[in-house]
Amino acid sequence: MPPIENDTGRAELKTRIQQLIDSNPVLVFSKSYCPFCVKVKDLFKELNVICNAVELDLMADGSNLQDMLMEMTGQKTVPNVFINKTHIGGCDKTLQAHRDGLLQQLLGGENETYDYDLIVIGGGSGGLACSKEAALLGKKVMVLDYVVPTPLGTTWGLGGTCVNVGCIPKKLMHQTAVLGTAMQDARKFGWEFSEAVKHNWETMKTAVNNYIGSLNWGYRVALRDKNVNYVNAYAEFIEPHKIKATNRRGKEVFHTAARFVLATGERPRYLGIPGDKEYCITSDDLFSLPHCPGKTLVIGASYVALECGGFLAGLGLDVTVMVRSILLRGFDQDMANRAGEHMEEHGVKFLRKFVPVKVEELEKGTPGRLKVTAKSTDSDEIFEGEFNTVLIAVGRDACTGKIGLDKAGVHVNAKNGKIPVNDEEQTNVPHIYAIGDILEGKWELTPVAIQAGKLLARRLYKGGTLKCDYVNVPTTVFTPLEYGCCGLSEEKALELYGQDNIEIYHSLFWPLEFTVPNRDNNKCYSKIICNKLDSERVVGFHYLGPNAGEVTQGYGAAMKCGITKEQLDNTVGIHPTCAEIFTTMEVTKSSGGDISQAGC
Amino acid sequence: MAHRLLVRRIWTVSVRDVRCPRAPSSALYSTSLCSSASPQPLLSPRRSLTRALPVTSRRQVSFNVQDQEDFTERVINSELPVVIDFHAQWCGPCKILGPRLEKAIGKQKGRVTMAKVDIDEHTDLAIEYGVSAVPTVIAMRGGDVIDQFVGIKDEDQLDSFVKKLIGQ
Ligand SMILES: Cc1cc2nc3c(=O)[nH]c(=O)nc-3n(C[C@H](O)[C@H](O)[C@H](O)COP(=O)(O)OP(=O)(O)OC[C@H]3O[C@@H](n4cnc5c(N)ncnc54)[C@H](O)[C@@H]3O)c2cc1C
Repeated sequence: MPPIENDTGRAELKTRIQQLIDSNPVLVFSKSYCPFCVKVKDLFKELNVICNAVELDLMADGSNLQDMLMEMTGQKTVPNVFINKTHIGGCDKTLQAHRDGLLQQLLGGENETYDYDLIVIGGGSGGLACSKEAALLGKKVMVLDYVVPTPLGTTWGLGGTCVNVGCIPKKLMHQTAVLGTAMQDARKFGWEFSEAVKHNWETMKTAVNNYIGSLNWGYRVALRDKNVNYVNAYAEFIEPHKIKATNRRGKEVFHTAARFVLATGERPRYLGIPGDKEYCITSDDLFSLPHCPGKTLVIGASYVALECGGFLAGLGLDVTVMVRSILLRGFDQDMANRAGEHMEEHGVKFLRKFVPVKVEELEKGTPGRLKVTAKSTDSDEIFEGEFNTVLIAVGRDACTGKIGLDKAGVHVNAKNGKIPVNDEEQTNVPHIYAIGDILEGKWELTPVAIQAGKLLARRLYKGGTLKCDYVNVPTTVFTPLEYGCCGLSEEKALELYGQDNIEIYHSLFWPLEFTVPNRDNNKCYSKIICNKLDSERVVGFHYLGPNAGEVTQGYGAAMKCGITKEQLDNTVGIHPTCAEIFTTMEVTKSSGGDISQAGC
Repeated sequence: MAHRLLVRRIWTVSVRDVRCPRAPSSALYSTSLCSSASPQPLLSPRRSLTRALPVTSRRQVSFNVQDQEDFTERVINSELPVVIDFHAQWCGPCKILGPRLEKAIGKQKGRVTMAKVDIDEHTDLAIEYGVSAVPTVIAMRGGDVIDQFVGIKDEDQLDSFVKKLIGQ
């Protein structure tokens, strides 16, 4: 078709285009072969938005339309995108608008109103922190929390994993075990008490759970006082801006919001072998187990496995840990093995290179009797053993599979169910954010989830710019001999900097409080990893000894400030403590020098 | 829910931190979406909502509130003044205060009753009445909150709290 020269033809063309623009919420002038056009059309498909494409190359007067578009928009190229009558531009501009959230805003339409400014799915560490902060900043906020019971029917209150089935009961039960050790030490310090010392599981369990009950209530009250609308219902997306909330009676209610934060956390993974869900427990059941677990098999070598196995042994129970390959994957292996060795020396049995095959019930009871069959990973050997309780702790899976993320268009890593986000905790769908344990490649720790949630709310509603810093996060594994660390493991430091560029200082030490009872000499260990290319800045901190959390917290702050080996040396220690060891570290690992300690 | 609020008498707020009634949100405790059809669980559900049976003492000084409706009927619409004891199973001091309060009420020989509200079972009520910590005790007459305290009190203090309520 020849170019249109006359005015009526031009006016007609313009009207036609304008009509298209006016009548299509999303309109893309495109060419069927153009890869950029495909990209844009794919984006809308992903966002679950109906997009009308006008394929100029397939139309007789396509080039006339293109010329008129040039006149109308100043853009000659395709794709040429309009959303709700607003001209966006080409592919780059559209993708940028998507990243900025502008696209979403335009798609939502100006007069679209939502029930809430923010809906947070999951009332755990991250979700509660984020919702409270957002409400404090004047936003209308809803948080939904719902606990799907374990296969054995265990359930709990508001607050998520940490409070109910994580950090809190774990640390209190670890403390129970620490007190047991202290009692043994006490005799050496002259305390005299009856020989028979018993532990009552039920008393401990009730006391721990009473404390948790008060925390659950505290969270509930805080939500009321901060004007966060709390709903005890299971949430799932049915549209990008709409969720369905199902309460325990099966009643469904729908809510919409301008923005969403996903904070659904993780739940223990099962083995997928006969008898696992029927007869085994996980950490979700352990802390409220009505009876003492008795002789226990812990399957797995995660920190949860070692912590639980550790405190159960500390209560005087017969504990075996079945390990497929290594202890504490992801942690410094030298440290992990030292923590494991200490457990072994204190009566925990390790069954290495075995994987369970089936679990059968021999006898019901509180506790009952179970038979576990396992096979060796490197031979034909079969293990059969009888236990009262089998605790599975082989890892945790993100709760992202059943919350309608496909309906909202949120990307999930299909392999592990984790959600990839940018450095502002934003998913691929701009109005949907994610925090806490479900994030891909981030720390699974309560303070991290809280920090991320709080900072996210401040960025969204207070013009904040601070992002959550996932580097140099201190943490502690509460094995019987506690292990605290911050920064890189030795393996990771080697990989990042190379052998030649790091210096490792290390030392064994004997805590003063262990000397009189004469136990665990030269078992406690400290190690720092320094970057030689950067003034021996400390890039890895590792401590195996009592009160590791208390020790590591302070050094974590120092590392956040970029402490160097020289500054550590210039720090005056507090005597007599365990933490002071880091101010006097002289022996490098590369020198092979003697690191055993004797006296002051 | 709305109709339940409607049948309530109008009550006035005379104590700080007692909030206007609003549509109750949901309970504090999360439970199953579907009733578990799995084989009889090995473990009894944790912190399950075991409902205490109503106290059947000789003179029935106190009763356990069963639900919102029951609360409206027996507390808000009560002819007698009512002392409401908001308590929790996990709360140590509640276990001391409860019996003490019952004793103080018993002394009044039926001129006042006592309603016991487990805040985990009846979270909405506790939230609505501004309970932040337990034990919280509210004195109500004719549906009006006329007094309240939080925490432990000794017998004498409880006696005068109750006497004040019945106007002695
Ligand atoms: C045994 C154990 C010990 C631990 N010890 C420590 C420790 O010592 N220190 C530490 O820092 N961290 C510890 N952690 C990790 C810590 O508990 C988690 O990192 C933290 O709880 C993560 O917070 P979150 O907000 O991501 O998720 P969570 O706290 O798990 O909260 C998620 C909440 O969302 C709810 N939910 C899920 N899906 C839905 C839905 N569709 N609708 C409504 N609600 C939903 C869940 O029921 C849950 O209540 C431990 C974990 C375990 C298991």
